[in-house]
Amino acid sequence: MKLFGFHLMPYTDLPEEHLKSGDSSWVTLTNGAFDPVKGHELYQRYISELKYYDEVGFDGICVNEHHQTAYGLMPSPNVTAAVLVPQTTCKIALLGNAISLRDHPMRVAEEVAMLDVISGGRIISGFVRGIGAEYHTFSMSPTASRDRFYEAHDLIIKAWTEPGPFEWYGKHYKLRYVNPWPRPLQQPHPPIWSPSQGSGETVDWAARHRYAYLQTYSDIKTIRRAFGDFRDAAERYGYQASPEQIGWSLPVYVADTDDEAMEQALPHLDFLFNSLMRMPKDVFFPAGYLTLASTARVMAGKKGLGSGGADVRGLVERGYALIGSPETVRQQIESYQQELGFGLFSGIFQFGSLPGELFRQSVRRFADKVMPHLRSAAREEPH
Amino acid sequence: MHLEAPAYSPHTVPAVDDSFRRTLEESKGNSMTEGVESGIDERDVDVRGTRIHLMASGTGPPLLYLHGAGDLGAWPDGLTALARRFSVYRPDHPGFNASGDNSSIDSVHDLAFFYLDLLDVLGLDSVILIGASFGGWLAADIASLDPSRVDKLVLVDAAGVRAETPTPDVFALSPVEVAEHAYHTAAARTAAIGQAAQIEQDPSLFERYLRNRMSTANVGWNPYMHDPKLLDRLHRIIAPTLIVWGAEDRLLPVAYAWRWAGLLPTARVEILEATGHLPLVEQPAAFLDVVDDFLGSVR
Repeated sequence: MKLFGFHLMPYTDLPEEHLKSGDSSWVTLTNGAFDPVKGHELYQRYISELKYYDEVGFDGICVNEHHQTAYGLMPSPNVTAAVLVPQTTCKIALLGNAISLRDHPMRVAEEVAMLDVISGGRIISGFVRGIGAEYHTFSMSPTASRDRFYEAHDLIIKAWTEPGPFEWYGKHYKLRYVNPWPRPLQQPHPPIWSPSQGSGETVDWAARHRYAYLQTYSDIKTIRRAFGDFRDAAERYGYQASPEQIGWSLPVYVADTDDEAMEQALPHLDFLFNSLMRMPKDVFFPAGYLTLASTARVMAGKKGLGSGGADVRGLVERGYALIGSPETVRQQIESYQQELGFGLFSGIFQFGSLPGELFRQSVRRFADKVMPHLRSAAREEPH
Repeated sequence: MHLEAPAYSPHTVPAVDDSFRRTLEESKGNSMTEGVESGIDERDVDVRGTRIHLMASGTGPPLLYLHGAGDLGAWPDGLTALARRFSVYRPDHPGFNASGDNSSIDSVHDLAFFYLDLLDVLGLDSVILIGASFGGWLAADIASLDPSRVDKLVLVDAAGVRAETPTPDVFALSPVEVAEHAYHTAAARTAAIGQAAQIEQDPSLFERYLRNRMSTANVGWNPYMHDPKLLDRLHRIIAPTLIVWGAEDRLLPVAYAWRWAGLLPTARVEILEATGHLPLVEQPAAFLDVVDDFLGSVR
């Protein structure tokens, strides 16, 4: 199993009145609440925590993209990755670039190629649509999101794999010259991951392109169904999905005992799920973000998330997070792995307001007592 | 003339045209539908490959009513009153309610072109055009795109332009929150909130609501519910124009009425007291009063 450490880089010092209000932490939470001096300290800490994953032996680090929110201070995964490249030796997974939100997909093609060339081929390129809230952020109609995603993806892959210049006249992007310098180092292009919330269309799309499918923030029932759908789709496309194509991402906390782990983790998980993730349903899932067919099933899988009133202990029981002693966490991952067959595991070891000290203790316990049992192959060395 | 609260009987209000009714009855195996019993004909028309669901009633000069974004396919009683003097046509926009999709439409301006095609299909040279909310935006676009097709124009709490007055983001509101914002009187609000609460309980209603919202988002998300290019086209409107507005509209506050009035300097403006965003539904008598006066006086 390949093990990745993920970090959402949250802004944790939110005003009391906001926390009490029940208001959205996305789109409309005033950036007057962001203190740049505290922000500087947080970035320093978070970058060192991301590096810590590399130091203790994870296969890779995951960074991602979100906008106008205290949930995470990472509007550009490429900037975070650029900071990490010279300070690390492991893989860096961009989870991902929200290509539908970019005015110009060629900027993503260029930036990811730069990172890949500079890092010696350590980049994993995730492509996402961005979450519903971000269509409010950029005043971009969610009804065009999926179409733009497909077209931007096709354009980027062609730009990476076919010699330019060539012309592109799609519905959303019209370019007289496609000819980006540099091209990526990894051939034919960096591995593509498809992080998703489980819509049928994305599952099918990832399987069709033989990409890795990564499911985030879902209960175990939804995970089971999504992975099953992915395998079925792969078979429809004439192949068997490999474990390396199936990934599970969720918050993880490891303490000496189960009780201690729950006691230490729950308040911070609560902050993640009920304060940072909080937003109105119509902002989370704006009309058109999901197809009519996917709306019911995705919303059912996300029930309670974003409402600010989720029962966090219940979420842990339903599989939204892995919290426990090294033995418990190892057993859970192994038994789920046996059942669900994933070969990628991405742990979000920093979540909500979890302090740096607890983060390091948890990651260290995981690295010492869990990781050795999960390792199926030697760590890949970069170029 | 004053249009009273609707008291319709099929004998006093004939069908829009006989062939229309025949088509409907044939398509439904001659069984009288609920719509026919109430004097409203329903049929699907094909507009260059897009199926448009059309409700129609009455005789007289043609009147095209363009519904709002939150309209779930109702025939408001106020239209029945108008059908006493006019042939009232109420299509579902493409992508809304019982109409089919048209994937080539991605702006209200595209919709305006589409409606010129609809007028051609219906054989209507020109119409009285009434547009409510989102439909008002569309009506203004049509009237500026081809002024010869619009005899009189009525904009009711119309979207389409921007004023420097904050408005709620309707795309961030739940059905119940929209209802809370749309109506002023306690009775209308309570009723609307009750209906809105049903939307999330009833899967087929929710699907209709969501599809309407997707179609609205597709053309009205950015710029938010307006088209800056309309400003350079409104001078082309030659139809006598009435701007009707609910004084207590919380979705598009009355400042927007004055914004429209500034852009259409010859338009008459009627502000209805104790009325929210949907005068035709909330205060039909007052609405019909001003509309009747306007249509009568320019006839």
